[in-house]
This record gives sequence, C-alpha cells and structure tokens, in this order.
Amino acid sequence: MADKKVVLITGVADYWGACLASRLSAEPDFHVLGLDVAQPPDKIDGLDFVLADIRNPVLVELLESENVDTVCHLKFIEKAERNEAAFDHNVMGTMKLLGACAEAGVRKIIIRSSTAVYGAFPDNSAFLTEDMPLRGSRQYGYNHDLLEIEAFVNGFIGQSPQTLVTVLRFANIIGWSADTPMTRFLRLPSPPVLLGFDPMLQLIHEDDVVGALAHVVLNDSPGVFNVGAEGPMPLSRLLRLARKGPTRIFHPLAYRSLKFPRVNKVEPRRLVPIEWDYLRYPWVADLTRMRDELGYSPAYLAEEVVREFTSQRHLKEDAGGHYAFACGEQYLRDVIERRQRAKSRESSS
Amino acid sequence: MTDTELATRCRAMTKAGKQCKNTTVDGTDFCHIHIPASIRPDNGKAINDETTKEKLSDRELRERLIVELDDLIARIQAIDPEYSPPAFSPKNMVNLMGDQTSSLSPLFRLRILERLRSSINEDLLDIETWKGMWYMVNYTLEYQSDILKRRLKGEYETDEWGLDWEFVEAVRPFLDFMYKFYWRVEVTGIEHIPDYGRTLLVCNHSGQLPWDGAMIMAAVLNEHPAQRLVRNLYANWFPTLPFISAILVKMGQALASVDNGTRLLEQDELVGVFPEGYKGVSKLFRDRYKLARFGRGGFVRMALNTQAPMVPVSVVGAEETYISVAKSPTLARLTGFPYFPISLRFPWFGPLGIVPFPTKWYIDFGKPIPMGDYEPDASENLVLVSRLTDQVRNVVQQMINDRLNQRRSVFY
Repeated sequence: MADKKVVLITGVADYWGACLASRLSAEPDFHVLGLDVAQPPDKIDGLDFVLADIRNPVLVELLESENVDTVCHLKFIEKAERNEAAFDHNVMGTMKLLGACAEAGVRKIIIRSSTAVYGAFPDNSAFLTEDMPLRGSRQYGYNHDLLEIEAFVNGFIGQSPQTLVTVLRFANIIGWSADTPMTRFLRLPSPPVLLGFDPMLQLIHEDDVVGALAHVVLNDSPGVFNVGAEGPMPLSRLLRLARKGPTRIFHPLAYRSLKFPRVNKVEPRRLVPIEWDYLRYPWVADLTRMRDELGYSPAYLAEEVVREFTSQRHLKEDAGGHYAFACGEQYLRDVIERRQRAKSRESSS
Repeated sequence: MTDTELATRCRAMTKAGKQCKNTTVDGTDFCHIHIPASIRPDNGKAINDETTKEKLSDRELRERLIVELDDLIARIQAIDPEYSPPAFSPKNMVNLMGDQTSSLSPLFRLRILERLRSSINEDLLDIETWKGMWYMVNYTLEYQSDILKRRLKGEYETDEWGLDWEFVEAVRPFLDFMYKFYWRVEVTGIEHIPDYGRTLLVCNHSGQLPWDGAMIMAAVLNEHPAQRLVRNLYANWFPTLPFISAILVKMGQALASVDNGTRLLEQDELVGVFPEGYKGVSKLFRDRYKLARFGRGGFVRMALNTQAPMVPVSVVGAEETYISVAKSPTLARLTGFPYFPISLRFPWFGPLGIVPFPTKWYIDFGKPIPMGDYEPDASENLVLVSRLTDQVRNVVQQMINDRLNQRRSVFY
C-alpha cells in the first residue's frame, strides 16, 4: 500500500470518473481514491470511495493524510444553460480543489477541457495550436465554465510551478455511453445545421478520452494538449455516416431563434446542443503536440468513431434489422483494422 | 561477326518485321521482350515484381513513366537533333494533333476524313454499335449512381483541409468552360511550376470577384503536366458566406494566414496567394493595372519559413470583367460586405450585374524566385521581408506592363 501511488479521481459517480477508475484499478502500481457526492451506480473493483464534495474545506486534510500523488479532476456539470449552481460547482469547485492540491503538495493535476475553448471564428487558422488565445463563446453554460477554469488554471500554473499540471483539450466526444454536446446533437431525430455551411469537425471516441486520461496518469507530461482522432471530417459527412438527415436553417433565422422566449419551460438552446457558431466556422485543433510530446495516439480514426456510434444506435433501435446487419459488417472491418494498427504500434515500440 | 556474337542476338522478329537486335537473356534464345512466358527463367520473381508494383504509389509510377519518356526523347533526339518534345498536358496534346493533321497533304487529309465518315455511317446501321452505346450509357449511369450512393452514405475521403477530389472533378467542367470558351485564357511560362514540391504562386488580384483565383487553378489543371491543384488562400470574409465557404473548403482552398500557408507549403503543396487582398479586388476601373500594396508581407514570411520558391503570376484581362466606377462605404457597412462596388451594371441590374464581361485573359507565370539561400530565421528580419515584398511586387507589375504592351484588344 505504501509504495503504491495514490490517484484521486473527482466525479467517480459520473461516466468519465467511473471509466477512468475502473481502467486504473487494473494497474498494480496505483491506489485509486474516488471522490463524489453520490455513490457510483455500478460497483468498481479496487475503488476506495469517499463521499465528499470538492468544495469541502477539509479536503486538504484528506489529501495530506492519504498522501495523494495525482489528482484527476473530472467532476464537471455539463449544462447548456448558464446556471449559478453549476458555475459555483464547476469554477469555484475547481479553484478550491486546486488550492487544496497546492497546499497539500499534490505532485500532479490533470484537468479535462475541450477544444471548444478556442472558439469558432471565420478568421481561425485551419489548425489551432495550444498557444493560441482562447476566444470561445460564453453563451452556453459549459463553455463559459470551461473558459473560466482554463483562465484560472493558466494563472495557477504560473503561481505554483512545482505542481505538474496537464490540461487535455478534447475534440467533439462521440460514444454510445457518453453524454456530450456532440452525442446529444447526433441523438436528435434531425440535427439542426446551418444552410450552406459545412465546417470541418474533429472527433474523439469516448474510450480514447479515457485512454488519454489514463495515459497522462501513468506518464508525466505537463502542459496543454489538444486530443482528437486523426482525420477531421466535414459536418455533412459526419451526418451521412451517422445516417441522420439534417434540418437546414438559414443562418440569420437560426441565430435569432435562440432569442425566442421559453416555450413550455424548454429553453431553445436545449434543442440545439451545439452553438451555431461551432456549426458554422472551423475550430479544428492541431494534434502535433499530442503525437510528438504527449506520445498518445487514439485507437479510433474519426470515421470509425462515427461508424461505431451509428452501428451501436442501430443495434439498440433496430436489432436484427437490415441496417444493423449492414453497419455491423463495416463495423467489424473497422475493429479488425484497429486491432492490427494497435499490434503494429506495439511491435514498433 | 563471330558465332558467339550471333548467339547473343534474339531470335524473334519485331512487330515491324525485322530481326530483333536485343541481346538474349542468359540460357535462352530470346531477349527480355520476346521471351515466351513458359521458358522465362525468373517466373516466380516476375510475379513478385508485379505484386510489389501494385504497392507502388501513383507518384512513383509517374516518376518511372517520366524516366521512360525521357529515355525515349533522348533516343529520338539522337536520330533527329532538331526534335523537341511536346508538353504532355491534355490541351497541348489536342493542339499537337491539330498541327500534325494540318501538315499532311490535302488529299491525304481528305482520305482520312472519308474513311472516318464512312466507317461512322456503316457503324450506325449495325445493331451491335447501338448495343455497345446502350451498354456504355448504362455503365456510365451505373457508375455515377454508385458514386452518388456511396457519397450519400458518407463513404468518401477528404484530406485534413477538407479537399474533396470528387467535388473538384464535378466542378471542373464549369471552370473549364470559363477557362476555354468564356475568357479564352492564354497561358505562358507554365514550365516554371515544378512537378513536385512546395511552391508559392504570388498573383495580382483584380476584377471585383475573385475569378482570377479560379482561372489560375483551371490553368494549372489544364496546362501543367502534373495537373497540380492550386491551394489558394482566401480572405476571412468568405467563411462567413453560406455555400461559398463550403465550396471553397471542398475545393482545397484555405483561409489566408501565415500558419495555414506555412503548413500547406510544408506539405509540399502548390499554394496561391493574392497579397493585394481586398484592396486589389476592389480596385476602381481607372486604377485597374496599378498594383495595390502587397499586404504586410505575410506571404514572404511563409516562403522564408519553408524555403519555398516564389513564382510571380500576372493575370491580365480580369481587370475589365466588371467596370467599377465607385465604392460605397455606406452600402458596404449596411450589407456587411468588405467593399461595395458601384459598377456600370451593379447594383442597378441585380444578379445580371454579376455576369462578367467575356474579355480575353492572359495568365503569365514568371521565373521562380528561389528562397533556399536565406537563413532559417530570416522571416523575422523585417528589412529583408519588406525588401522581398517590394521585389516581387515590382516583378508582377513589370509582367503586367509587358503583357499590356503586347495586347491588341481587350476582347481578342
């Protein structure tokens, strides 16, 4: 126990925390400590669960007494609406947690962010590097909170240089089990897009998100990294691969529609999980640092990410039907290719 | 000639009916061309060769073909020293065939025509011809619908910039029409663009709408032997426009920024820049041949970063496609356009005002300016950047003036 490194994961009751905890519990050198305000719904072997909030002022004592080496901060409330409770939890929670980490002398902190913080603009370069200014839109709650967190973390890195801070900015996360703006968008019966606009989008599979988080827990690589699957694709191709017919909206109307009053207590932006600008302008991130410095390569190619999502959907909705069969074929081919890629990567390294 | 020497000659006859002069393959009586497959000694190896050949990339195959062609040219030149090889691009081939038939005697040409005509007549009466045509039409339709079906399922490829070659092929007929028949573009100096490797085209910009970019693209696709795609860099107003933004990305164009240009050049692409920007396109009719300021030298920094040679390009003829007499800043602000031209036909005739005049165009590619001699960090040397910017600008202006002196009329 003493020679094991202690990893504290916040938000283990949520999808990402639970996935990372079960991934790390298989590692012999790590002791996984989970923190959340609710019990994880499924039991995770080897998880040492503590019921507490990240804003709890006594957290410093917990970190010190457990001799925590790495904190992986995954607790994040992803809401489209701007919401004071979520802000208090996301931003103030992160500030308090990071403060406690610095006081307790935690060696390494890992934070999950999104490439949406760069913002989608007509004058964006085709590939955004990590050192570009964060100009993301603050209209949607989660994006607003992420930008606040990023600004705070940037200051924190300057204040406590002895702590290794890794920020992973993930591209659009797609996966059947995860609940992200992109999966919400793809689950709509007819996702809304802007007429005549077809931006390039970068994707990442949910397993690769957990894989990248585990990678930085196992290897020290401080800094900010964009993480995405190889091969960005146009939005139109993404929707075709997902077998979704989009609703095309003329853009001046689309922007105005967000200002409509609530109908039936449903905010209009609930119906549009991704902000219009992000469906209009490019915001593809540059992955050079992920490949060279982080040394992580996602298992899924972008088109495999979408095909996997589509075949999962068809299997659930239309088991045994024609589509499930047709997609299953390509799906299996992808799996074979992926396994071969992984093998060749292993043999080369 | 001794017996041993005779034995090394191939026993087969060539297609022309002469004795083959090649030496034999060891252990057989035939040369490597005429040897029957059954007695080929390296049968297994030959098959291996073929499988490796399939793995060769297009580029390697093309390189091989070029080597073979060079070899052939050298052999012809040994016989006829005055022979100069034709340029191998589609348009030049057609021109070459036209030139060759006109050099034949009239009687001979008539015979060829008659032969062709009669054979066509006979064939039209034959049911097999119609069957063949029906088959061809069916095949084409099926092929096209397969592409469409595949695309509807999302099974198509784009590069990381969004370039979609199938889309480029679909748009090409329109570009070619404008290029060949509408503006009857004449091109010189296409040989200054290399077949491979990073190159930066620096072009003048004029004519209210960026048709010149499209025509430079069409010129290189039609005239250049390697049929390279020009990756033009566009201004940041275009991404805000519906349809146009999507079309530009699918055609492999990118937003004008030093990052994008450098990255494209590092990928050994052929990049086109219009350093004049809006100031160039929105020129009034009276200033039409005067180059505007060449930006802030971003294009020189791209070239210095990547040591890519710069090819100056002048487009003459685009200046007269629209006659802009004034610019309205008020209307530009109201509509959100970067500039709002008041021309003879726009905005008075609405969409009709957008139809360009069918002027005669000349696109001249100048001598490349090499960048390999500068230090790697030369792009931070502001003096050097501004000097190079002015140098390229003067070259392009000179090329425009030369062309104007030679031109007889705007329309032919």
